[in-house]
Amino acid sequence: MTNTERKTSGFGINQIIPIVAAVMSIAFIWLGLNKYGFWHSAKGPMPGFFPVVISVAMLFASILAFVFSFKEEAPVFPVANWLVPLSVACIIGATFLIGLIPSVAVYVLVWLKAYEKCTWKTTLITFAAIMAVVIGCFVLWLGVPFPKGLIYNALFS
Amino acid sequence: MENIELLLQGFAVLFTFQNILATILGAVLGLIIGAMPGIGSLAGVALLLPLTYKFNPTTAIIMLGSLYYANMYGGAFSAILLNIPGDSPAVMTSLDGYPMATVKKRPGQALLTSNLSSFIGGLIGMIILTFTGPALANVGLKFGPAEMTALLLVAMTSIGWLVGENPTRGVLLTMFVIMLASMGMDTLSGSPRYDFGSIYLLGGIPFTPFVIGIVGFAQVIKLMEDRNIQTKAAAEKLTIRGSMITRHDFRRLLPPALRSGFLGTFVGVLPGAGATTAAFLGYATQKSFKSEEPLGTGAIEGIAACEAANNGAAAGAFAPLLALGIPGSGTGAVLLGGLMMWGLNPGPLLFVNEPDFAWGLIASLFLANLITLAIAWGVIPFLIKILSVPTKLLIPCITVVCIVGSYSTSNSMYGVLVMFLSGILGYVMQKSRYATPPVLLAFVLAPLLESNMRKAFIISRGSLNIFFAKPISLVLMIALFAILLFPVVRPALVKAGLIKIKEPKS
Repeated sequence: MTNTERKTSGFGINQIIPIVAAVMSIAFIWLGLNKYGFWHSAKGPMPGFFPVVISVAMLFASILAFVFSFKEEAPVFPVANWLVPLSVACIIGATFLIGLIPSVAVYVLVWLKAYEKCTWKTTLITFAAIMAVVIGCFVLWLGVPFPKGLIYNALFS
Repeated sequence: MENIELLLQGFAVLFTFQNILATILGAVLGLIIGAMPGIGSLAGVALLLPLTYKFNPTTAIIMLGSLYYANMYGGAFSAILLNIPGDSPAVMTSLDGYPMATVKKRPGQALLTSNLSSFIGGLIGMIILTFTGPALANVGLKFGPAEMTALLLVAMTSIGWLVGENPTRGVLLTMFVIMLASMGMDTLSGSPRYDFGSIYLLGGIPFTPFVIGIVGFAQVIKLMEDRNIQTKAAAEKLTIRGSMITRHDFRRLLPPALRSGFLGTFVGVLPGAGATTAAFLGYATQKSFKSEEPLGTGAIEGIAACEAANNGAAAGAFAPLLALGIPGSGTGAVLLGGLMMWGLNPGPLLFVNEPDFAWGLIASLFLANLITLAIAWGVIPFLIKILSVPTKLLIPCITVVCIVGSYSTSNSMYGVLVMFLSGILGYVMQKSRYATPPVLLAFVLAPLLESNMRKAFIISRGSLNIFFAKPISLVLMIALFAILLFPVVRPALVKAGLIKIKEPKS
């Protein structure tokens, strides 16, 4: 057992995943059979055919996974790890306001200087390298039209 | 002999300053585009197609052909060094490439194994293309829905060994991902399916952002636990000599590279299969053969099998494209559009009416293979420097690449959202010991399997006989049942003395 894992003491993520999977598979089976159709006597398999077959298999697998889950160790999710998804969520939100490129630029600077406590030299070199790739390859060369955000559009459109 | 003469004529066409420059430019651009997550060969060829308007058709197709080909090399770079596949054919390369580079501390050797295997696989594909191109294209046409279904079912059996130590959880996650892959437009009827009224879900879940998320972004979240560990091992070997593989390594990579080269070329010829399917099949086939180390732990055989297969497929895809005018993949379709734009009509008469063009292109693939190998080998020391960058600096760098790469695939924030959610899913699943490798295989092959299976059932009016009526599908179905039943009958065969159990090396 590693230092990030411990024995399960009750209901947790090991049980939640199979339950969510089972609910989803039931929903997909219901939609497949009632909305999209399973089999037509003349046309053969309908759009719901393949997803329903897969969902039935998933339902059985999720029941088995739920039964076995009580013998499994529960994983631990260190809080610090969630900072990465949190920062990406902030970038997605900020993109609508200031655009994608400025959002990732601010993220890199804040992450390196404020969170990692890097020196200004390291921060600026890393920042310059990332922005060179993003702007040089994706913006200038490939011409990817990154979103510019509400503020830019309000000022310049 | 006639084909060799025609190929030599092709080289005569190729060896002009302009064409050689176009080959080199295509190879360099292909390597860069291939290494950048989210772009891929399809977008790369499509983006550069307008640049070729002013070229003559031969020079233009030479550049795009070598770009497409070099892309297969480049995709492995980021897969091996960052665990982010640059392109979908490189997805399987990360399974052994990344552990070999990081856990076994042999990044140079992992990259060189990938490059050499790509070269061998591509060379096999080109030789086959030279001698049997038109004939091979005709074999590909014999693969209808029933044959493709049987082939894809054989490929899907590899999920069985990818599920890891907990088969129930592996199967659960695989089924979940197939369910996700079925969302969006129904491929046969065109009607919406499981879109829940969302215009974004109507287009389905895009593959590249999904892969970037579940493989790359999930890895970044996990990297937070190691962010204070100093990386120094990779910095010790920053020379080409330091990245050389041993003779023993070469002996390990050669058999899977040769096998996958042939297999990949054949898969590349099949309509709709493409380099990604070839890489999966190459890796799956390798499981049936002896590997010195278990696949998935940084085995040279694993890298060689999928890299040779995807390069073989890239070469093989030119057979139906040139000889029949049928593209084997999305990239092939763009190339076909280019051919038509330049006033050429791909088909059996292309080799007769435009021999300079057809054989010049095939000759350029040989040259591109050699040039790409040389360039890819030369840049290894610089690429390895990525691994010597401290983890705490890599985290924001890879995060930005994940965001920008996933945006670029669809020019929409929907791609970023898919990457974000699939990254969290991948992280939670990995921490909960759900095996993620089969997810990638399922996501790629499931739509192909569904489409072909439904077509087969429609043709046969729901009868299963269609899978056993034709020789190709019959052989494949026998192979499928043999693979499925082997674990069941194996104890009986061992007891009867028909097979022997080899003790694994400790």
